[in-house]
Amino acid sequence: MAQAKGAQEKGAPEKAEFLKGTLDMLILKVVAAAPIHGYAISQRIQQISKDFFQLPQGSLYPALHRLEERGWLEAEWNDTATGREAKFYRLTRTGRKQLEAEMLHWERLSDAVALILRTA
Amino acid sequence: MKWLRRFTQRALSEKRLDSELQFHLEQQIAGYIESGMPPEEARRHARLEFGGVERFKEECRQTHWENQWDSVGRDFRFAFNCLRKDRLFARIAIFALALGMGASTAIFSVVDNAIFEPFAYKDSSQLVTIRLRDLDQANDWRGVFLFDEFQEMKRHTHVFENAVANLQEDVVYDAGDNSMLLAGNYVTQGTFEFYGMAPFLGRSLEPGDYEADAAPVFVMRYRTWVEKFGADPSWIGKRFKLNGISRTLVGIEAPRFAWGGAQLWMPKQPAEVRITRSFDGVQYWGVVARIRPGVSPKQAAADLEPIAQHFSKVYPKEYPTHFSMEVDSFAHAVLPREFRMALFTFSAAVGLLLLIGCANVANLLLARATTREKEFALRAALGATRFRMVRQLLAESFLLALAGAILGVFFAWAGVRTIAAVIPDFTIASETVIQMNASVLIFALVAGACTVFLFGLVPALKVSRWSLDESLRDNGKGLTGSARGAGLRNAVVIAEVALSVALLFTASMFVRSFVALQRVPLGLRTDHVLTARLPLPPDRYKTGAQVRSFFQPLLARLKSIPGIAYAAESSSIPPYGGIRSQVEVSGRAHSEKWFTLFQLCSEDYLSVLRIPILEGRAFTETEVNHALKVALINHTFQRRYFGNGDPLGQRIRLSGLKDFPDAVNDPWFEVIGVVADARNRGLTEPIEPEAWIPFTVTGSAARGILVRTVNDPTPMFKTVAGEIWATDPGVAMAEPNTLDYFLDLFTFAQPRFGLWIVGMFGGLGLLLVTIGVYSVMAYTTARRTHELGLRMALGAAARDVMNMVLGHGLRLLTFGILIGLAASLVLARVIANQLYGVSPYDPLTIGGVAAVLLLIGLAACWVPARRATRVDPMAALRYE
Repeated sequence: MAQAKGAQEKGAPEKAEFLKGTLDMLILKVVAAAPIHGYAISQRIQQISKDFFQLPQGSLYPALHRLEERGWLEAEWNDTATGREAKFYRLTRTGRKQLEAEMLHWERLSDAVALILRTA
Repeated sequence: MKWLRRFTQRALSEKRLDSELQFHLEQQIAGYIESGMPPEEARRHARLEFGGVERFKEECRQTHWENQWDSVGRDFRFAFNCLRKDRLFARIAIFALALGMGASTAIFSVVDNAIFEPFAYKDSSQLVTIRLRDLDQANDWRGVFLFDEFQEMKRHTHVFENAVANLQEDVVYDAGDNSMLLAGNYVTQGTFEFYGMAPFLGRSLEPGDYEADAAPVFVMRYRTWVEKFGADPSWIGKRFKLNGISRTLVGIEAPRFAWGGAQLWMPKQPAEVRITRSFDGVQYWGVVARIRPGVSPKQAAADLEPIAQHFSKVYPKEYPTHFSMEVDSFAHAVLPREFRMALFTFSAAVGLLLLIGCANVANLLLARATTREKEFALRAALGATRFRMVRQLLAESFLLALAGAILGVFFAWAGVRTIAAVIPDFTIASETVIQMNASVLIFALVAGACTVFLFGLVPALKVSRWSLDESLRDNGKGLTGSARGAGLRNAVVIAEVALSVALLFTASMFVRSFVALQRVPLGLRTDHVLTARLPLPPDRYKTGAQVRSFFQPLLARLKSIPGIAYAAESSSIPPYGGIRSQVEVSGRAHSEKWFTLFQLCSEDYLSVLRIPILEGRAFTETEVNHALKVALINHTFQRRYFGNGDPLGQRIRLSGLKDFPDAVNDPWFEVIGVVADARNRGLTEPIEPEAWIPFTVTGSAARGILVRTVNDPTPMFKTVAGEIWATDPGVAMAEPNTLDYFLDLFTFAQPRFGLWIVGMFGGLGLLLVTIGVYSVMAYTTARRTHELGLRMALGAAARDVMNMVLGHGLRLLTFGILIGLAASLVLARVIANQLYGVSPYDPLTIGGVAAVLLLIGLAACWVPARRATRVDPMAALRYE
């Protein structure tokens, strides 16, 4: 999973595809809690994963814009606690559905992988 | 409209992206400082971590659809630059496309307008005309009928739904200080309902106008109203003095209503109609019927037979011995068969031209694709996706197609206008409007665009189909290149050459025929002669003496004008002569009927036309003024009816004169002179026997004048018109013009039109064949660059390479020319009846056409051949 950094590199299209989906899911999940700006997203992912994921800006922002374009996120410019204006992302209804679908899919996938790893 | 705002506010969204990233950066720095890093270090660290901002900014932008346009724009700029680098290719491709599209659109539009949609009348495909054919003389029939006959046909409702009839009438419009001659038509009741066209202004003729006590009215043709009355609506409701009767103009007909080619239409009960000038006072009506659906013209004709049989007994003079009725579609009757045939032939030729134009472009694109294979392989290797390459190629194709389409539309527009301008009068129905046909244009554009897009994609398809390294290693460097498609390409060239030969052959036959036609000796001089028809008001000019009272002073006045050499009365416009009549010659018995043309003329007639006298003498003024029964005959008359006998002093009887309204009861004339033969049935028909008699012997028949001037006759029109109106202001001068003009209009206009059209197609064919040969040869040599380089490295001289390339072209050309010539010889038989004075198997023409094709073809080969000789052997080999 540390390869998340290399998601945009060429030569491993299948992996990138898979990881890109994972990244999208993680972002959606983080945003689902409350409206949040880009920097905070990367901080929270890093925090929660206990520094396992270093989410580079080069992956984060294209992903955010892509999710916004698809209508899963919507954005608004608001003041932060420090009074600075920032772009806050919020989950839309279709975004929530997408998140649920992806989480379900992920659970099944990881269960299956875990099962194989344990029993094989 | 959110999407539109996004599109227009792209600068704003760009700024927002910047500030979003800036915010992140600042937060990062703040975070580092918080964790104890010195500010400078924190800033440096954060920036380093942020990395290449531009790259992922671009990635962000890519996710927004509105920004896709930028890359599309780049594709187009790239495509444009590619085409600009290969200007020769771009120009030739665009030109070939435009030519194919333009030519086919133009000719198909004309065909569609002239043949398939000539009329705007209601259900015009059901309209038929009726003719009476004389079975003994192939072309002798009448397409006009007596009113009795018309009524009987109309009652015959089980084949016709309805029928209408019109009667031609010269109408003199008395405008006060001068008079204008207009072509009028009396039409039967229900004519406008029959044709189902609403008037442009005012109203059409209505049943009330046909009541016995109705006020006299008339309606006018749109074009006449525009050309002669300034399109002024205030003329409606005004009274016009027409042939002495005051009539109110009640309406202007729709622009495409032109029945009978008339300028105005008048209601009249047939019983009242008194036609101004008819040879024998009989009224002949043109008849148009609407055939019942499901009834064929043949069935209708068979149905009319009993009516004709019946009337042949009532009016025996109106029927030949053996006859049959003929029913033909209106469109066919109006459009001469040859013209239709010619248009169909041209359509086929042009369809082929379009096809070949497209094939040419396809060949060009293939040639280009071959030379670019490497470029694309390289781009693919450098990471260009197939989608992106296809998009760039599509952009290139789009630019080519767009430029071709724009130029093509222009060609089509110019072509339609040119053809419309050169179609001679009386060739197509006067109702026809020649204009560009939108659906045809769209078809041609789509065909052209499809070719470009389809063949333009070839390089990208090749790159994806073959593995990259294969493409990089070997492209078109086999000894003769890939054989795939070579047969097809060669076949296209051969077909092009063959078609071009056939077109050129036809064109040159027409040219030679036209030249021969212009060299036909007329037997009379048409230069410096002006002529005009003079319809005399029928109420005041009934007898020969009355007609003389007009012409005698007029001719005297004209002759006294300086600049006028001679002036004469004439009953026809040469080289078309006179009235047809049965003729008897005193003391000569014969079993078959003898016919002659005859003319009513005054004493200066021969001098105006410079027709020499062979024997005897011309009329004297006294003979003409006293209406003496004397006659001149032409040489053909003498040879045919007098044989070796001396005609002078003999008497001939022109029986036709007995049937004139102002009949000549004892029409025997003494022959006083024999004149040289001059054309009297047009240029191409054999000269017929003809006789001339003093115009004063009868008051009937059409009249006109012929005036020989010393200098250019054009400025004399006004003077002559002034003298005519000074003699009688009630006489209108119809169609005054020079005799040369009429000769041109009636004799040369149609062949010249044919010449124009075939000339145009001959030229187009040549152009396309040049492009075709060039593109294929360029393609082939491009594929053989490596081979040629190798040959030259091994010692082949530039001349050998040149010969090799030219040899290939020569083989294709020879095949094409041979096939084309074979086709031409077949074609020659088809067009033989449209030719005059040339043999279709003329070796000079055939040789000339072959030579021209060969030269042009070799010239087209020469450019790629020369390029081949300039191949640097080292460069070609290093290609490896």
